[in-house]
Amino acid sequence: MRLLTHNFLQSNVRGTEKGYPLNIEVTTIKYEESPVDKEFLLNLLPKVNYNALVAAVKQMSPHCEQPLPELPETMDVSNAEQNQNLDDATISNLHKVLFDVYLVEGWLICPDTGRKFPVKECIPNMILHEDEI
Amino acid sequence: MITNAKEDITDGEEYLLLIEFVHRHLGFHDAELESILEMSGIKLGVDCHYKALPNTDTDSNKFSIYTDAEGKLGTKKIDLVTSLARCTLIRSVIEIWGLGSTIEDCVKVTKDENFQKRHQRGKHLGDAATKYEDRTFKVTIHTLGSTYTREEQNDMRSQFSFLDFPGAVQMKNPDDEYLFIREVELDDKGGAIYPRHSGENREIIPENDARPPLGCYFGRVLGVGRNWRGSGRLEQYSLKKRAYLGPTSMDSELSLIMTNLAQVKKGSFAFDPFVGTGSILLTTALRGAYAFGTDIDLRVLRGRSQTENIVSNFSQYGLPPPELVRSDNAIYHRHFRQHLPLFDAIVTDPPYGIRAGARKSGSRKDEVRPVLDEHRHDHIAQTRPYVVSDVMSDLLNVAAMTLRMGGRLCYVIPSMQDFNESEDLPRHDCLRLVSVCYQPLQTELGRRTVTMEKVREYEEDKRDEYVKNTWANGPESADKVANIREKLIEAAKKKPDYEEKAAIRKQKRKATKLAKQKAKREAREAK
Repeated sequence: MRLLTHNFLQSNVRGTEKGYPLNIEVTTIKYEESPVDKEFLLNLLPKVNYNALVAAVKQMSPHCEQPLPELPETMDVSNAEQNQNLDDATISNLHKVLFDVYLVEGWLICPDTGRKFPVKECIPNMILHEDEI
Repeated sequence: MITNAKEDITDGEEYLLLIEFVHRHLGFHDAELESILEMSGIKLGVDCHYKALPNTDTDSNKFSIYTDAEGKLGTKKIDLVTSLARCTLIRSVIEIWGLGSTIEDCVKVTKDENFQKRHQRGKHLGDAATKYEDRTFKVTIHTLGSTYTREEQNDMRSQFSFLDFPGAVQMKNPDDEYLFIREVELDDKGGAIYPRHSGENREIIPENDARPPLGCYFGRVLGVGRNWRGSGRLEQYSLKKRAYLGPTSMDSELSLIMTNLAQVKKGSFAFDPFVGTGSILLTTALRGAYAFGTDIDLRVLRGRSQTENIVSNFSQYGLPPPELVRSDNAIYHRHFRQHLPLFDAIVTDPPYGIRAGARKSGSRKDEVRPVLDEHRHDHIAQTRPYVVSDVMSDLLNVAAMTLRMGGRLCYVIPSMQDFNESEDLPRHDCLRLVSVCYQPLQTELGRRTVTMEKVREYEEDKRDEYVKNTWANGPESADKVANIREKLIEAAKKKPDYEEKAAIRKQKRKATKLAKQKAKREAREAK
């Protein structure tokens, strides 16, 4: 699971008020560099919840061999036109955290109910139990 | 028709191309071509339009005229060829020099000044190209639906010798390639209706040989060296070459067509909510999309082993790994943050229960038993059957919710003969129907590849209304796509000899079972 996917996933077991963003408990992590596609990234960026991304990076970073690039604490990414002005270093950093780091094994934890969703072989299992629907 | 065409061509305004299709997926030719033209910003009916062939009752080839108002023929032409190169079903594209019902007519038109001067001026030669006098060439012959010997083909070739190309003949990688096409009527399986040779002795059938062809066309091949279909362009993606497969993996040719219908391109965000073994998702990645897939079945997502899974199929073609999540499309909105339209394309083959049944989350029984806390960590969530009508209404609703405006949904839907395209297809207020391509599978069964486009913003509070309006005729329409497996068995039962054949199959199954048991026993004893 890349952090991009984490950014869209939420927990919605019965009775959850706000199952977002999911906390990450890391067992194994993988880092694989990929070429930066600036256009695709800029296209996607307005849809990313930036605060959730920063929080996820903080939870992942200690487990990486090389610490992940530090992102500014706050940033407004919702405006596509404004994003065009981002410098290459920021773009590259955003690309790294969104696309190049994978949670291989671990858990995603609902911040509201504490429900743990397992992640195995990079695949999060978000299926709800029959009594949670 | 020919004279008309001639009159239409005032030099520098119109440019005539013949698009030669492969005789496969007949129902998909137009839709794929139009989708690719639109994607490349070429408006059919404005920038270019179709022109009927001399004999119009064929669907195998398209005669198209390219209108050029600003005289920018050179650059735009290249655009057209480059974009058409994506069409899976195109065999070649030629700039028309001559056409007619017979080869004599075709030669006559080619000799005509209007067609010839295009060539004489060397219009197709850029400034940097080899000088016309030095350009190597070859003349290729396609005789669609009949076989001609090398000598006979040479005779055809010699009919065009008046063109007197100054360069040398070169069979491999010539600078220019010219193509003569002779087309006869084909049936829907691609065989000639009036075959030239008899099936057994391969002897010429004189009365069929004497029949005039459907049409003859001559022209210069565009994109020389661009092997439109041959040399393993498709073969390399064949399912046979993949390490990980399932019973419902989609064949690569249709998957590639689907990515064209859905206009997937580099930098697209493509989604498949019923990803299975990832066969469709893989082709979206081949087009350069960022691939995202979900499925309710964890086993197919994980694959058989480290070397046989979806990710290994992707790395086989040097593609970056896709994103996979186990989730349930029936409750997509609960797994994923309510957010803005995310995807550019959704390409999928939903489960219809012919080979694999659909499941969704929920208790098998009506009364839900709570899961005990001590069991919770390794509890296997129950799933229950997911009826096809709901599969479809959920799919369309998820598409309406998550596609960007103008984004496309392309899915496959099987049905029996009673399916009425204009009434029974599922619909959604936010999605516009773009095209429906029919592919016959058996006498009773066929499948359609449906393409829809998001044209209206999704409104969350209208959700129930959207879902309710999916089936125009309510349960009656929904029922036509449901229980196809049962219907097929019903239909098979009505055929004569069903009982006998069933008995034979039963015997065979029994024999196989016994043989397996025997082999197992022997293996055990050998130990």
